[in-house]
Amino acid sequence: MAKQVAIVAVAQNAGAESKDNFYDQAYAVTKEVLDKAGLTRDEIGTVVSASSDVFHGGISCANSYYWETTGAFLKNASRQDGESLFALFYGAMRIMSGHYDTALIIGLCKGSENPPNDTCTLMYADPFYQRGVGLTETMAAAFQMRLYMERYGITEEQCAKVAVKNLGNGLRNPYAHKKGRYTVDDILRSERLIDPLTALQVAPKSEGMVALILASAKKAKEIAAKPVWIKGFGSSLDSYYLGDRDLLNGQLKNAADRAYKMAGITDPEKKIDVAEITEPYAFQELMWYEGLGFCGEGEGGRLIDSGFTEMNGQIPVNPSGGVLANNPYVSRGLQRVVEAVLQIRGEAGERQVSKTVKMALAHGTHGYAGQCHAVAILGR
Amino acid sequence: MGRPVAIIGVGQTKHGRRMDVSYPDLVREAVMAVFNETGLTPDDIDGVVSGTMPSMMEGIALTHFYFADAMQAAGKPIMKTETCGSTGVSIAHTAYYWVASGMADLVLAVGHEKMNEGNSQATMTTVAEPFYQRYFISGAPGVFSMQSQMWMDRYAIPEEKIRDAAAFISVTHHDSAFDNPYAHIKMRVTMDEVKNARIITYPVRLLDVCPNSDGACAVIFASKDMVKKLGRKPAWIRGVGYRGEEYFFGDSDKVVWESAIQAAKQAYDQAGIKNPRKELDVAEVYNPFTFQEMLFYECFGFCEPGESPDLVLKGTFSRKGELPCDPSGGTLCTNPIGATGLIRVAEAALQVTGKAGDHQVPKAKLALSHAMGGVDQFNGIMILGSKL
Repeated sequence: MAKQVAIVAVAQNAGAESKDNFYDQAYAVTKEVLDKAGLTRDEIGTVVSASSDVFHGGISCANSYYWETTGAFLKNASRQDGESLFALFYGAMRIMSGHYDTALIIGLCKGSENPPNDTCTLMYADPFYQRGVGLTETMAAAFQMRLYMERYGITEEQCAKVAVKNLGNGLRNPYAHKKGRYTVDDILRSERLIDPLTALQVAPKSEGMVALILASAKKAKEIAAKPVWIKGFGSSLDSYYLGDRDLLNGQLKNAADRAYKMAGITDPEKKIDVAEITEPYAFQELMWYEGLGFCGEGEGGRLIDSGFTEMNGQIPVNPSGGVLANNPYVSRGLQRVVEAVLQIRGEAGERQVSKTVKMALAHGTHGYAGQCHAVAILGR
Repeated sequence: MGRPVAIIGVGQTKHGRRMDVSYPDLVREAVMAVFNETGLTPDDIDGVVSGTMPSMMEGIALTHFYFADAMQAAGKPIMKTETCGSTGVSIAHTAYYWVASGMADLVLAVGHEKMNEGNSQATMTTVAEPFYQRYFISGAPGVFSMQSQMWMDRYAIPEEKIRDAAAFISVTHHDSAFDNPYAHIKMRVTMDEVKNARIITYPVRLLDVCPNSDGACAVIFASKDMVKKLGRKPAWIRGVGYRGEEYFFGDSDKVVWESAIQAAKQAYDQAGIKNPRKELDVAEVYNPFTFQEMLFYECFGFCEPGESPDLVLKGTFSRKGELPCDPSGGTLCTNPIGATGLIRVAEAALQVTGKAGDHQVPKAKLALSHAMGGVDQFNGIMILGSKL
């Protein structure tokens, strides 16, 4: 995709529980991103938010509640549900359609006021067959992890290494919620939640108001010194019932291929400089390496063993600590975008990777065993 | 405006109390209807837009998961748009921008609701702010009754006239529903029956209110190239407007209702419409309550403020009037909420392509469709034309 839509400013808040209410947190991030872009609310063309109702928001029609605090008063605005990367895509489409020059995109989630993640994800289960047996995202992930280990000989240690890396990376990220220096042993000895998943391999639930401003090429040249361009994006949805799906060969490849095609990328393992991906369960990061084309099928374990995805590796993955360190469920995809933008701009502080970042990838997923995936490619 | 976009096919379920099908099967019925109508297959579709009301009404969260297969969306790019009652029109907007951006040539938009398996008023109560407003803004009628009272009071419209006009709307829409094979409530009512129906929330009575319906709607949006290639009669998108306002009921004026006024203005400006009553041939106004429909006529510039009851009684907005409104029977006779706005869009598309059957407005070329949502907060418009 030629330079059509740029990200000109980003803002996020910290993942740990905040005493500020939902409304005030959303306002603070909205105001911060506008100030960073040097724009007033009046200069924003359209607003697209991402949030979820009731279980992830405490209220039905959540966007009714936060409408004006996200700057959307009397604006043509809309909202995406479940995956905040959709809001980025929708904002980009609104600009590409020629109707708007600027868009404010915001993902909203206040994890500290939500029930446990799996109380929410239980509500994805169909009410007749699966909810009664207690199927949740964590249980689906445990099935998937067992299958992955058996099919490819991936070890629990290799899965745990993802948590060691990401919770360690989180130490350098002031916004990260969960962080620490752990050994593989620590990870494997933490409480076994649903076999084979242990507590430190499962993402927390965090606060996360995440905002960015998009601008058309013309507008970006006027207002931004360091625009980051959206080079490509894609998503893909899988079938619903776990038994109908190949849990080791899901939709990530489809979503990534769409994004790569738009960005003109044929060899992602060479072109992508850094990746921020959504790994609510440690082993999934290994699977997503494969889906994103960083390595071949079943090679995710070997890839992490080689150090390829460490901070100083060829493609550092989740230098921010990823979702294991910070998991505002709905807005986590957009948070990956913000982190990728900071890496490209060289503004990621202590978590800035040492290599030069020209092209970055942001990934989001939600649903059982990754039923839906979304990928964005960003670049200079 | 971006790339030209048109609707090339619509599919609806038979709306009503559909205990004969499961919720996924209801969705599948609408989706297969649009594929049958257009001769397209799921393989042809570049992307799917899904939308409903909030999860509490669905009994399941993030419905795009559960309905992935029913929508024929497995393996497809997906968007999930949700804006409360205006969801249906917001889904249409998403599909429009997707094609207009150049990112897709054929997008399937699907809206659905199975209200008889849920509790709509309990759900809507949870839209209201939990600490202060939830206690008195329970369900939809409370809000709309207050709005109706404000409107009557503002323009000092005699109550008797308003009741007559509301009853007239109810009678004519219920009659129209008989001409719409998909409509839910098919019942002849008289002016007296409407005026003496059981009070729901003063001044709203039972026959001033929409039903709880099960239903789904699927619409295919196409780029200009694809319209040419498929050779189907297009309903071109001529205007797309949307506005939202404050959450706290009471913070803004709901009579001179800015979100409705400005959403319409945005769409009119794009479509080059200056005098909507003259230039539009038909309107599908989102009218869950008879009183509110009249308020919309005024906000959309169909008439002057406070003037609508007189014009309603003159027949200006009747099927044979100057600007027929809701010839399908409208939301008043069929309301599967997540689908309702998209049904308005679909009905407008049927009108401008001459496919509305028994409720066709003769020679309709330019049509307005509309949906409203939130705590009287959101208004969305889509204008469709037989010509680009």
